Amino acid sequence: MANKTVSFEIKRQASPDAPAVWESFEIEWRPGMNVISAMMEIAGNPVTADGHSTTPITYDSNCLEEICGSCAMRINGKARMACSALIDNLEQPIRVEPLSKFPLVRDLQVDRSVLFENLKAVKAWIPIDGTYDLGAGPRVLPQEQEASYPLSNCISCTCCMEVCPQFNEDTNFVGAATIAQVKLFNNHPTGRVLKEERLRALAGDGGIQECGFAQNCVEVCPKSIPLTNTISDISRDVLLQKAKDFLRN
Amino acid sequence: MVTAQPSVAPTVHSGVQPLRAGEGSSFLWRKLHSLLGIIPLGAFLLEHMLSNFEALKGPIAYGEQVRFLNSLPLVRVLEWVFIFLPILYHAGYGVWIWLRGKSNIVYYPWAGNWLYAAQRYTGLIAFAYILQHVIRQRFMGVSLPEHPMEAFAKVQHELANPWMLAVYVIAMIAICWHFSYGVWLFAAKWGITPGTRARKRFGYVCVALGLGLAVMGLWSIWAFVR
Repeated sequence: MANKTVSFEIKRQASPDAPAVWESFEIEWRPGMNVISAMMEIAGNPVTADGHSTTPITYDSNCLEEICGSCAMRINGKARMACSALIDNLEQPIRVEPLSKFPLVRDLQVDRSVLFENLKAVKAWIPIDGTYDLGAGPRVLPQEQEASYPLSNCISCTCCMEVCPQFNEDTNFVGAATIAQVKLFNNHPTGRVLKEERLRALAGDGGIQECGFAQNCVEVCPKSIPLTNTISDISRDVLLQKAKDFLRN
Repeated sequence: MVTAQPSVAPTVHSGVQPLRAGEGSSFLWRKLHSLLGIIPLGAFLLEHMLSNFEALKGPIAYGEQVRFLNSLPLVRVLEWVFIFLPILYHAGYGVWIWLRGKSNIVYYPWAGNWLYAAQRYTGLIAFAYILQHVIRQRFMGVSLPEHPMEAFAKVQHELANPWMLAVYVIAMIAICWHFSYGVWLFAAKWGITPGTRARKRFGYVCVALGLGLAVMGLWSIWAFVR
């Protein structure tokens, strides 16, 4: 009796400039398997469905439990985490493609460093470095913790940027993830010291004003971060900051 | 020894570029576009809808309304500063926004994403319609500022053409859609409705506003063709 199999179509590209080609793979079905475990299996035994040997597929992954943010890719056209994409819930053949908005490295691997640059541009950190012990930090009220916790769940997967119609090379929009981190650090009693700088940064070209409120970010976010609420709140903060700056200059 | 920290070169060479923190003035221009859509353009739209409604009372009442509007102090200045120039800016910048957005409803057919696309297309319809409407009704044919009592006949003549009537009906719906969703977007993007439930509730208000305006507008059109 033939075993149950799972079929994949994977978009391959040997280098950033090489032409893209689709390759089909067929592997044995196992209970509870997800796309990333299938990618591992295909990479370990790179033979196409019609029996030709090919190069092992390249992809990013790490934790395998939707907490590191590495394995975001387009699965059946939609950006999502490959680790939490269960095979049994997907229509076959499962089409796997790299994210489309980021420079391609190879196969399913893309360069998402723009998010890191954006986080640096808004100073998404709490400045506590010093030459002496600063002691205990200020107390964070439970209500503030409740509000901040969802924002701290961001895994930098960039799905919110991939699905955003405004995140492209014409607008160079900063994307929802960075805006959410601005709120997280602005809400922190010590992080707040950089609040005005963060808000001014977000009013730069490609800043929060480029948001078109299509709300795809909040739909796709694997960590259910309230991204649209955050964009609304931070938009107001940026606007008030710019108004204050204008009137106090 | 203190040495200068070598500046870290950006590591992003191709693709979407990082935020230009604090640089440029696109924030101001985008917010101006957004604000002009509400004031004065939204306010003018409401005035125009109310004035059109006078047509239901007949040609004389409609003519009197046109006469009243043209008797406002500095009316030509008001017309340019609060109507023509804001529309040109709102439309021009809007087209630029449309050109730079990459709609993806094929892959992500979600409600907000549809509304995002619809806002662009209704805006384009509105702009094309308003251009011909202003040229043909304000700057061509009988000059209504001088002959306000001929307003009804002028519009009636225009709407006697079934193609023009279709254009007016489509544009009326598109403009009411664009304005009411624009009000919703304004509240969301200026941080007036940061809560999910607040946006949902305000959504019902905006649907009522849009439907109310569209019904009023179509009813006014009917006054010219009945």
